[in-house]
Amino acid sequence: MSLFLAALRLQLRLAPRSPGTLQVWATAPLFTAVFLSIAEHAHRTDLASFSVVAPTLMGQWALTLGIAGEIIAEERNQGTLEAVIATPGRFSVVVVARILAVSLLGVTTMAEAWLVAGLGFGRWIDVPHPVVLAAALLANAAAMAGTASILSSLFVLMPSARIVQNTLTYPLYLLSGVLVPLSALPAWAGAVGRAVFLSWSADLLRAALDGPAVPRPVTRIAVVALLGLSGYLIGALLLSRVLRRVRRLGTLTHT
Amino acid sequence: MVSTEEYGTARRGASERPADPAAADAIVVEDVGRTFAVRRGRAAGEVTALSGVSLRVARGEVHGLLGPNGAGKTTLCRILTTTLEPTTGSARVLGLDVTRQSRAVRRSIGLVFGGDRGLYGRLSARENLWFWCAMYGLRRSALRARTELLLDRVGLLDRADARVDTFSRGMKQRLHLARGLVGDPRVLILDEPTMGMDPVAALDFRALVAELRAEGRTVLLTTHDMAEAAAVCDRVSLIDRGRLLMTEDTDAVGRLLSGYERVVAHGVSAGLARRVGALTGVVAVRHEADRLEAETERPSATARVLGVLAAAGVHQVSTARPDLAEVYLHLVGRRGMGVT
Repeated sequence: MSLFLAALRLQLRLAPRSPGTLQVWATAPLFTAVFLSIAEHAHRTDLASFSVVAPTLMGQWALTLGIAGEIIAEERNQGTLEAVIATPGRFSVVVVARILAVSLLGVTTMAEAWLVAGLGFGRWIDVPHPVVLAAALLANAAAMAGTASILSSLFVLMPSARIVQNTLTYPLYLLSGVLVPLSALPAWAGAVGRAVFLSWSADLLRAALDGPAVPRPVTRIAVVALLGLSGYLIGALLLSRVLRRVRRLGTLTHT
Repeated sequence: MVSTEEYGTARRGASERPADPAAADAIVVEDVGRTFAVRRGRAAGEVTALSGVSLRVARGEVHGLLGPNGAGKTTLCRILTTTLEPTTGSARVLGLDVTRQSRAVRRSIGLVFGGDRGLYGRLSARENLWFWCAMYGLRRSALRARTELLLDRVGLLDRADARVDTFSRGMKQRLHLARGLVGDPRVLILDEPTMGMDPVAALDFRALVAELRAEGRTVLLTTHDMAEAAAVCDRVSLIDRGRLLMTEDTDAVGRLLSGYERVVAHGVSAGLARRVGALTGVVAVRHEADRLEAETERPSATARVLGVLAAAGVHQVSTARPDLAEVYLHLVGRRGMGVT
């Protein structure tokens, strides 16, 4: 078992009982109901896929971002952070694997949203491109983990970084076209949104549920993966620098 | 003990220097100081946790670091385990500098905490050890074999699949020790390992430390329990307020402690207190209202004090051993703060 798999397994054992996970599983159907109600009211049944993709990505990102901070806070509280840092294993690998575990769990919100659309609104959404959908969900989960790992370094440095965590959610949903397509946003916002992996993921997921064909699926999945990898590399670099700094300052165990 | 090398799966980066087998001492601390920045309101200040600490621990030695809470023991442990950098001075473990070669140092050491912290309580003992083995680069069969070996060694094999937060303090401590051994370290840092343990578990723990010594491992053990240090350590260092007061063979410190005694008596007049204070071997006397507290430095002096008090008709008398902090005071008075 590599360190990556060991950390993934550790988090999969811990996460299902975490209040954060339960909260997202509870709220994803509610968000789906809200979005579908709006679409139904506007007689835009063509937007049903939006109503499934948006709560999926929102729930997944909330979980992922939450765990990126929680990992550090919990490790500090239970006294394992110091023990982990005192081993030769790479902490950035542990962090990204644990975030990925939670991000993968977040994929289950799509099943919830799909069921709510079918059972609650009679809109059984077809999945014409299941392979693209599965690949996009996986790439998106990995990209989320890589990107969210940037935040973990912030939590090592500042235990009070939760405010940053909280402010990163809704602006990102909006800027990345999760709630509405980038084409509906001002041009400058659309340009910014293209640099965020979520916009590519959202487009891909909607296309996998909607369109007769998904144009350039491999390229688009590769872009999601590359943006996620960039996030991971930035996160690993930051974490390494932050760890050096907290060793110097003596603030590693500060809560 | 089966070593990691026998499993042959612990990975080492090409750029990492291995521990120096020729290093005479396992731990060398030279003039180490550590300060922490503190902020009170708008004022910024500095707290000194360690000041000019120098210490050598030989290979295979079990060394006790004794001191009250806040003395600087844990700070020194953190420096040696690379989770904290010294502000001044340097420290080496098996010849490796803890600041410049921190990754290689981490391969050579094991860290064991005391108390409930430092384990994943919602996981089983086996799952905990799998994770910690992976942190040391062990994989697949080697990881599983080492986990079973360690669980067996610390007597937790039959509870291996139970959640750790259902464990007693003693069981958690045994798991802590197993975790400290996953990397097959030549140097073990045990930070207050028997904190909160019941006496039986503490005795078990001492036996385990004796085994580690027999295997030739170097152990640095922090504690504020003199009896524990006397039972397992070859030498002890006394530390207080960030300064090392002395380093001695355990026997010497034991003799020092057993020599000192305190006599407490009630119904003592000021004149009688002065007479007691003048007796040979009485090193300190405090007298408040009619209560006398006399510190003696040898048993014969205690007998003399008791004799004088009895002759004066004082019957409310008790004797006790001083605690470590009081011994520190004696040491500081006798040998000065600079003694190491």
